[in-house]
Amino acid sequence: MNRRFLISLLLLWSLGPLLWQVYTSFCSDQALIQPFISHDHRWTLTHYQNVLNANPPFWRYLVNSFIVGVSSTLLCLVLALPAAYALNRIPRRLSILSRLALVGAALFPYVLLFLALLELAREFNLGNQLLALSLPYAALSQPLAILLLNNAFNDLPPELEDAAKLEGLSLFQRFRWILIPLISPATASTAILVFLFSWNEYPIALTWISDSNKLTLPVAMARIAGSSIYSVPYGAYAAATVLGSIPLVLLVLIFQKPIVSGLTSGAVKG
Amino acid sequence: MIVFLLLPALLLLLIVFVGPLFRYAWLSFHANSVMTGLIAIPNGGANWLRLMQDQRYWQDLGQTLRFAGVSVGLELILALSIALLLDQRWRGRDVVRTLTLIPWALPTTVMALGWRWIFNTPYGPVDHFTKLAGIGSLNILGDPNFAWMATVWADVWKTTPFAALILLAGLQTIPADLYEAVRLEGGNSLICLRRITLPLLRPYILLALLFRIAQAFGVFDLIQVLTGGGPASSTESIALYAYWNALRFLDFGYSSTIIMASFMLISLICVFAWMFLQILIPTHSKSRGAIES
Amino acid sequence: MRENQFFRRILASLFVVLICSAGFGLAQAKTVETVSFLMAAPFADATQDLVQQFNQEHRGDIKLQVIKGPLETEAMSDLAISSLLLGKAPFDGLLMDVTWLAKYAEAGWLEPLENYFSEADVDTLVVGARAGNSYKGHLYRWPMNSDMGLLYYRTDLMQRPPETPDDLVQVSQALQNEKKVDWGYVWQGRQYEGLSCVYLEMIDGFGGDWLQTNDNQIGLNSKPGVEAAAWLQGLIDQGISPRSVTNYGEPEALQSFKVGDAAFMRNWPYAWAELQKSDSAVKGNVGITTMVANPGHSTATIGSWGLTVLKGSSHVDASIEAVRFLTSETAQKQLFLKYGYSPTQQRVFDDPQLLQDKPILAEFGRALKVAKSRPETPLYAQISDVLTRQLSSILTDKKTPEEGMNVAASNTNQILISAGEQS
Repeated sequence: MNRRFLISLLLLWSLGPLLWQVYTSFCSDQALIQPFISHDHRWTLTHYQNVLNANPPFWRYLVNSFIVGVSSTLLCLVLALPAAYALNRIPRRLSILSRLALVGAALFPYVLLFLALLELAREFNLGNQLLALSLPYAALSQPLAILLLNNAFNDLPPELEDAAKLEGLSLFQRFRWILIPLISPATASTAILVFLFSWNEYPIALTWISDSNKLTLPVAMARIAGSSIYSVPYGAYAAATVLGSIPLVLLVLIFQKPIVSGLTSGAVKG
Repeated sequence: MIVFLLLPALLLLLIVFVGPLFRYAWLSFHANSVMTGLIAIPNGGANWLRLMQDQRYWQDLGQTLRFAGVSVGLELILALSIALLLDQRWRGRDVVRTLTLIPWALPTTVMALGWRWIFNTPYGPVDHFTKLAGIGSLNILGDPNFAWMATVWADVWKTTPFAALILLAGLQTIPADLYEAVRLEGGNSLICLRRITLPLLRPYILLALLFRIAQAFGVFDLIQVLTGGGPASSTESIALYAYWNALRFLDFGYSSTIIMASFMLISLICVFAWMFLQILIPTHSKSRGAIES
Repeated sequence: MRENQFFRRILASLFVVLICSAGFGLAQAKTVETVSFLMAAPFADATQDLVQQFNQEHRGDIKLQVIKGPLETEAMSDLAISSLLLGKAPFDGLLMDVTWLAKYAEAGWLEPLENYFSEADVDTLVVGARAGNSYKGHLYRWPMNSDMGLLYYRTDLMQRPPETPDDLVQVSQALQNEKKVDWGYVWQGRQYEGLSCVYLEMIDGFGGDWLQTNDNQIGLNSKPGVEAAAWLQGLIDQGISPRSVTNYGEPEALQSFKVGDAAFMRNWPYAWAELQKSDSAVKGNVGITTMVANPGHSTATIGSWGLTVLKGSSHVDASIEAVRFLTSETAQKQLFLKYGYSPTQQRVFDDPQLLQDKPILAEFGRALKVAKSRPETPLYAQISDVLTRQLSSILTDKKTPEEGMNVAASNTNQILISAGEQS
């Protein structure tokens, strides 16, 4: 089969729906109902105005998601790096068992945890606080992070660390000056994957955050979906979709290398 | 010393993964709802009995299985095709690979709004297309026969890139001379696929499959925003049912029971899927023997 | 050394600024109480002017904020509940749909209001608005509008509106045959709370009852219950309602009627105001009446929204002030004139000036006289869910009316049993 044709099919399928939303977001409500309307009545910016001027303003959700993303990523890395290192230094049987357990945890459909996590939020007053969300998010990304980072540590030649030990460097110093810098590509991949996960997570954010000023992007979108009083609100929905997608498209374009290498290395060694 | 390195992560994992399971198991043997003043009162196996007789749960389970099965099946086929396409070297390949990742990176709820419009009757593009093609207006999101297909389509669209990347990684570990050998013996692309690619890809396919089945089982965001569970509850998933029992009906005891049962079922299904695929795709050594004989 | 001095100066000035702003903030905080109410989107928009007026009148004293929630009733309730479950709700009051009261009250989330609203206050309410405000002897909710289900019809296409279900079918078919309208009757057929409202009117219209809460008698699979479901399904089968009505909510039905595609519509009072706007194709040609039914059984489902104060709020008195303001006679007149929300005070209904300006008010009053509420029980969300599920199956031809209503009845029974209400 003609390769060009297949490639264009692939691109159409991948990007088509999103591009249709871009198109829809600039169409006036009339044009959406009557597709063959004249040129003058077709294009409008009101949808974007409505979304951006809403209360709270749209950029707020992006900021909230960003705060949660960064804090989750940091917390996850702080916990996963030592754990990944230590995984190599425990007895072999235990190590294999742990790895299996981690894979099991990575596969787990975390949405089922929402009820217990809701109770935790209630007990410890973690509701409606953006930074508190980083706790479950870091926990949920631990399995994948530990496995990825552990692979990276495994790839390091042991002589490096032995030499450092001989020179009298403490564990912390070895971490700081040798180990972590050497696995920085893997760390970058893990970080971006955790960030993406936190950004896109829905059920837990839905149950832990109800204050409209503190909503993360996915929850805000779902709420926008339920709020319109118009019978054909799809222009505004499309504008919201486009605005909500922009940061992620940018993230993918900028960080494509770490993302791809993270996913593929996870697969190869997982 | 080593223990201290592991301890924080271990603690967090225990609290978030293991703790809930015990909690759910405990709660499922109690009545805890608005009718009990939100206090847990032991009620023996009453919740479990109710679950057995709850036709709605079994219907949702069936629907979720249908969703997961069809979705994952389609994804794997598509992902394999995409991976094969991306495995070859051509100009702009890296750019295309990045662009195909975009669907996976978008939050489900963000694009679910988009899908609501795309499948909208009578104003959406799909409806116009079917009318033009002479099939007529299908009322996709309002017809119980079709609505679940829309959810499958949206899910496949989002998660295929992920599976494709995993398979691509696997493809790139296959040495090119294996293909050479087969071609020298007169084999065509199809034989390459069956005898070399699939067997060597087996661990990757297994990984992608297990991952995706478990995730698809917990489908929640997509259904909630795209269809809300309807029409006629035909797209309702077990995660959604558990959520509503907790947050709409304020029945925590029953919600825990649903979650616990679903967790056990998912684990069972994953084990079966894994065993099934082991049998379905022979390992490389077996197929090599077949080539050489 | 100079650097040290410089830094010390910076620190000192920061410290001073901090103290000053804290003091200022404290001074502010002591005098102004901020009260926030969570409302569904349409009401949040509609009360904006009122909120501004309130804040002007109470400047320096109370500041009222309205938080905008989702449009759909269920989504709105989900949001409120998840806030309440977390322990500290970020709002003091909630605009509540009539069907949530039992659940929220039973869960202990609401502040009783008997001390603030006396019997005399309750007597000022029109009869149809008194339902759904109390639970187990306590007053929890003060109504803000008194919605009831109405049958809208095109006055330019018929002399009088139909009175029985058969009449409606006949008139629709005649009009459709004459190509005067595409569809006869549009209503809310999607699987959500709106469908329960539609069904309640029909089952009562055929002489039955959904659920009697005093003795837990379920009437869903009785003859009227099945007739009601069959009649609704028949509308779609006979082409009187479009197939897509199975995905219609209030906005979709309104849209269809507004552009002139349908002869009849079921909707709430707010739709009247929408239909008189300049972009409406049927402006001036719309009449309303109560839903068709067997003679003497015409019913309108009560859909009122009312304000409640949450237990644990530290601004109860200020919240009550806000509640009184938002439900005062002037507020109600404003909401009615501008947005078409049906008032709750009897005096507003009797206001001669208002009746002269907007005679439709009399129709609302008439409909309120036959208003009926949905079963008032904390389990309402579940039994409504079960009902709409089966109804949706029936409407989409997946089950016959008998099958569907039998399942609905047995499921409802199961829910009651599990909750210990019935053995």
